[in-house]
Amino acid sequence: MNVLVCWKWVALDDDDRWAGVSAADEAALEVALTLAGEHGDDSFVTVATVGPPPADATLRDAMARGARRAVRVDSPRDLRSEAVATALAPLTVGYTWVLCGDYSLDRGSGSVPALIAAHRDIAQALGLVDVRGDGDGRLRALRRLDGGRREELSVTSPAVVSVEGSVARLRRASLTAELAARTAAIELVDGPAGPRETPIEAGPYRPRARVLPAPSGSDALTRIRALMSSGAAVTHGENVTLDPPEAAFRIVQALRDWGYVSPLLEGTPTA
Amino acid sequence: MADFDVVVVGAGPAGACAATVLARKGRSVLLLERGPFPGSKNMYGGVVYPRMLDQLHPEWWDDVPYQRWITRRSTMMLTDSQAISVDFRTAAWGRPPYNGMTAYRPDFDHWLARKAERDGAELLCATTATGLLRDGDRVVGVRTDRPDGDATAEVVIACDGVNSFLAKEAGLFGTVDASNYTLGVKETLAMPKEVIDERFAVRGREGVDIEILGGTSGVGGGGFVYTNLDTLGVGVVLKVPALAAQSVRPEAIIAALKAHPAIAPLVDGGELVEYSAHLIPEAGLSMIPTLATHGMVVAGDAASLCLAAGIWLEGVNFAIASGMYAGEAVDEALQARDVSVQGLAGYERRLASTFVLRDHRKLRRVPALMLSDRVQNEYPQLAANVVERMFRVDNPAPKPGLRRIVKEERRRAGIRLRHLARDAWAGVRGFG
Amino acid sequence: MLAVIPVRDGELPAGALETIAECAGRVVLVGDRLDGVDLIADLVGATDVRAIELGTYAPGSWAASLGALVDDEPIIVLPASPDGRDLAPRLAYVLDRPLVANAVSITPERATVPRRGGLELHVLAVVTPVVATLQPGVRGFELAASGATHQTVAVDRREAPDPTVVAVHPPDVTTIDLTEAGRIAAGGAGLDSAARFEQLARVAAALGGAMGATRVITDRAWVGHERQIGTTGVVVSPELYLAFGISGAVQHTSGLGDPRHVISVNTDPHCPMMQMSDLAVVSDANAVLDELELLLGAIADG
Ligand SMILES: Cc1cc2nc3c(=O)[nH]c(=O)nc-3n(C[C@H](O)[C@H](O)[C@H](O)COP(=O)(O)OP(=O)(O)OC[C@H]3O[C@@H](n4cnc5c(N)ncnc54)[C@H](O)[C@@H]3O)c2cc1C
Ligand SMILES: Cc1cc2nc3c(=O)[nH]c(=O)nc-3n(C[C@H](O)[C@H](O)[C@H](O)COP(=O)(O)OP(=O)(O)OC[C@H]3O[C@@H](n4cnc5c(N)ncnc54)[C@H](O)[C@@H]3O)c2cc1C
Ligand SMILES: Nc1ncnc2c1ncn2[C@@H]1O[C@H](COP(=O)(O)O)[C@@H](O)[C@H]1O
Repeated sequence: MNVLVCWKWVALDDDDRWAGVSAADEAALEVALTLAGEHGDDSFVTVATVGPPPADATLRDAMARGARRAVRVDSPRDLRSEAVATALAPLTVGYTWVLCGDYSLDRGSGSVPALIAAHRDIAQALGLVDVRGDGDGRLRALRRLDGGRREELSVTSPAVVSVEGSVARLRRASLTAELAARTAAIELVDGPAGPRETPIEAGPYRPRARVLPAPSGSDALTRIRALMSSGAAVTHGENVTLDPPEAAFRIVQALRDWGYVSPLLEGTPTA
Repeated sequence: MADFDVVVVGAGPAGACAATVLARKGRSVLLLERGPFPGSKNMYGGVVYPRMLDQLHPEWWDDVPYQRWITRRSTMMLTDSQAISVDFRTAAWGRPPYNGMTAYRPDFDHWLARKAERDGAELLCATTATGLLRDGDRVVGVRTDRPDGDATAEVVIACDGVNSFLAKEAGLFGTVDASNYTLGVKETLAMPKEVIDERFAVRGREGVDIEILGGTSGVGGGGFVYTNLDTLGVGVVLKVPALAAQSVRPEAIIAALKAHPAIAPLVDGGELVEYSAHLIPEAGLSMIPTLATHGMVVAGDAASLCLAAGIWLEGVNFAIASGMYAGEAVDEALQARDVSVQGLAGYERRLASTFVLRDHRKLRRVPALMLSDRVQNEYPQLAANVVERMFRVDNPAPKPGLRRIVKEERRRAGIRLRHLARDAWAGVRGFG
Repeated sequence: MLAVIPVRDGELPAGALETIAECAGRVVLVGDRLDGVDLIADLVGATDVRAIELGTYAPGSWAASLGALVDDEPIIVLPASPDGRDLAPRLAYVLDRPLVANAVSITPERATVPRRGGLELHVLAVVTPVVATLQPGVRGFELAASGATHQTVAVDRREAPDPTVVAVHPPDVTTIDLTEAGRIAAGGAGLDSAARFEQLARVAAALGGAMGATRVITDRAWVGHERQIGTTGVVVSPELYLAFGISGAVQHTSGLGDPRHVISVNTDPHCPMMQMSDLAVVSDANAVLDELELLLGAIADG
């Protein structure tokens, strides 16, 4: 029983100091190592990434933590998700499970795992908050739904599974494994050079102005209240720089002004 | 057989330079760093005096990640509302080989450690040394927080920074007294480069370093303002016991410094991007521990080799030098197959014959003097009052003589002539 | 543009109405127990509503079954709800189209997508035909009367390898207090330890509310994942929201509903959370929490 783990290496600009994988990818490796570990010595974990040469550091990290093989599909870093999945899909053949993170650090849309499953025409169980072997060769998985509901799934191999970051904490590498991984071989596969994602504009996140339902209600007062309570149209609030004690004081003052903290309570600070 | 010839703990300037020297001599070196990369946990920014790099990395200025070359240095004395400054600038410091630069430590330390790696040291990050391995009275390696994490070595070099856990565990420190430490607190404020250039009267990559005496809200210490490319470092260095006694928050002291009429015009409008606090072994020579034991030496801040005497705040250069000398001495000891204290004695010998211990010796009385209440509070007030009266135009009264002003102001400040004379003498001996 | 809405057991997913509004009223509802659900679409001015019963949710099978029906639509939009974001890539693959995932807005020319963990917005040129998903909670919608045409379309359910649904569990009791809380104090990566969140819970309790967190925090397991507020966590609708050390990435804020009052404490005055606050305090959130706990304690002790 072998598991393929897909790791996406993400770096800020060209600086390898702020590079790594998402918490979800880390959790995926831990789940994979656990599943393979439960299956005895013949089982192993392979880690794969589609990315440029600096991504090797991440693959080595995965090997130090217990992945036996590492494969890098040589491609530029901003490849579109469809191309990433197309490059990964053939590598997944023969593995019992394909484990992914629920999100990558940069794009974070969780599309690649579903696209891999679609390519291979195999099952997918994505965005899991819990997953374990059921002792019968299948996986028992809990998937998050809307409104706090959970879907309990039984997954048959082969399948693509993606997990949230909270599912498992990745084990640390031993000192010897960490040093050994520095010279371990990484299998290199030629990959596509495109298509790449090229934004026509980029900027800091700003909330989109929200369209609001017209105020409804029987009387004018309710309608006005409905209008006033819809804080969605970006409120231009007060912006203050304060020392922590003053800050706390200002917050309590605001809470009192807005009626969340009773002004009548003894000891309430006054301005 | 040990796993490595040498394990260096801490990839700050001291550790990186020790590792570089040893790797170049062909020794197998493991350089351990607890942060995710070298410099990640280190105090953000400051002034680096790079002279020692000339030997280790000739032409280091070609690729060093610096912010600005220091071409202007001011020393300011502040009272509540007054300021006196001595301002020095020279174009020479803006050309190779340069006298000082501001640099961000995550950049600088990372650069320095990468060089060690390129020379053949194994750099292992995200790994904390948690204890020493011993064989009798000999240190034979370190234990780390990784599974299966023991690393054995012929020699361990502890470069783990101030308050060194390893030096303590090796029993190299006597009892540690909180009053020997100061707390460095620093804010990094973002400001457009043009605004900095204009406010500090510099151009291009020229930069300014202002050291401040007084202005720390009555808590013993000093302050500084440095220019980076598009941020300012503004901070205070505070005596720990005084801080505790007065129960003021360090942030409040920085805020007061930033609001001082002499400082506010420089820093106003800067946007806070980083706040950090760090202990500094300030009290100089008296704090330096025993520097070696069997199988281990201590370098950099771990050995309290940081010079923080009032307007001097130098540590990186001491760390680089002590790291290099530790590397050389350890190599020598390995060659002679004697890593006992005697075998490692070359380390202390090197430190004693160079600026590392000489500067400390020379300035050994300075920390106590600079931190005394008189120097901290009374003298700046006295000096400022004297200067204010000298420059004040009191027409129609005639200008008073300097001697009279000094006398009157000294009386007013309640400063005894005896103290003044003694401190002046201590100053002459200390700095001279 | 056509909205494709996966419906589970007669319930619309998060962001369904916004997606319908974004597509100007053209919608295909697919799922089980669609009776009556289609009428809700009318509320947001739907013009053309088609309903397709396909049984229980199964992404592989649904994508295969739906493909032919929507093939001639140049732009297909699904809500980026758990099921929408699960189904959309499979549908894109069946239709052999590119996917634009998690857009905060989409028009026939441009799609705006969050990048770098939600802190940046990138605008991508839309090349049709395309499948997109729309981030729930960012757009809003207006109520509008419509005279929509309603149609039930029969489609053969094609089988595909999908997991077996063993059960659907109702919301965990531990999340209910959060979803129903009128006041929420939440913390993000600006808070420095797991213990801070215990303190945050005490502060929230002192205000008569509940504690929540961002995904960065639940990923660190400092608090349970059931406390995660946002599109992939719990969608809440408090009246009062206090954010401590939260940057306000779109996936977080879109799970907030429309709080009447927002207070944010952050060292970065320009982050989105501060921008959408009624009171934005630039300060160290950890120290402020210490002070706030003292102050609220003092008030309570009165
Ligand atoms: C506010 C302030 C301002 C300063 N300004 C200046 C200035 O302007 N100019 C100047 O020259 N100096 C300045 N200094 C002093 C200077 O920062 C230090 O002297 C210098 O960093 C010492 O270098 P080091 O390599 O000995 O230790 P450090 O730089 O402290 O490096 C120690 C390294 O060891 C790592 N480490 C610690 N423990 C372990 C462990 N157990 N296992 C593994 N790794 C470990 C740490 O993560 C760190 O990377 C300033 C200090 C402060 C606090
Ligand atoms: C598909 C997808 C789904 C997602 N779903 C969710 C979701 O459901 N819920 C969710 O929360 N996230 C979700 N995310 C993640 C989201 O994009 C952000 O990464 C996350 O919300 C950021 O959390 P944060 O604000 O705690 O951390 P950061 O973005 O790191 O922000 C930390 C903030 O703390 C401030 N800060 C730092 N130090 C201090 C201090 N001392 N005092 C005060 N402030 C300080 C910083 O200025 C910064 O603004 C999702 C992402 C994707 C891609
Ligand atoms: N370039 C890549 N190489 C390997 N795996 C990837 C890559 N991009 C995405 N993945 C996997 O797909 C998951 C979701 O990524 P995304 O669709 O970008 O959110 C990640 O957590 C990885 O497991």
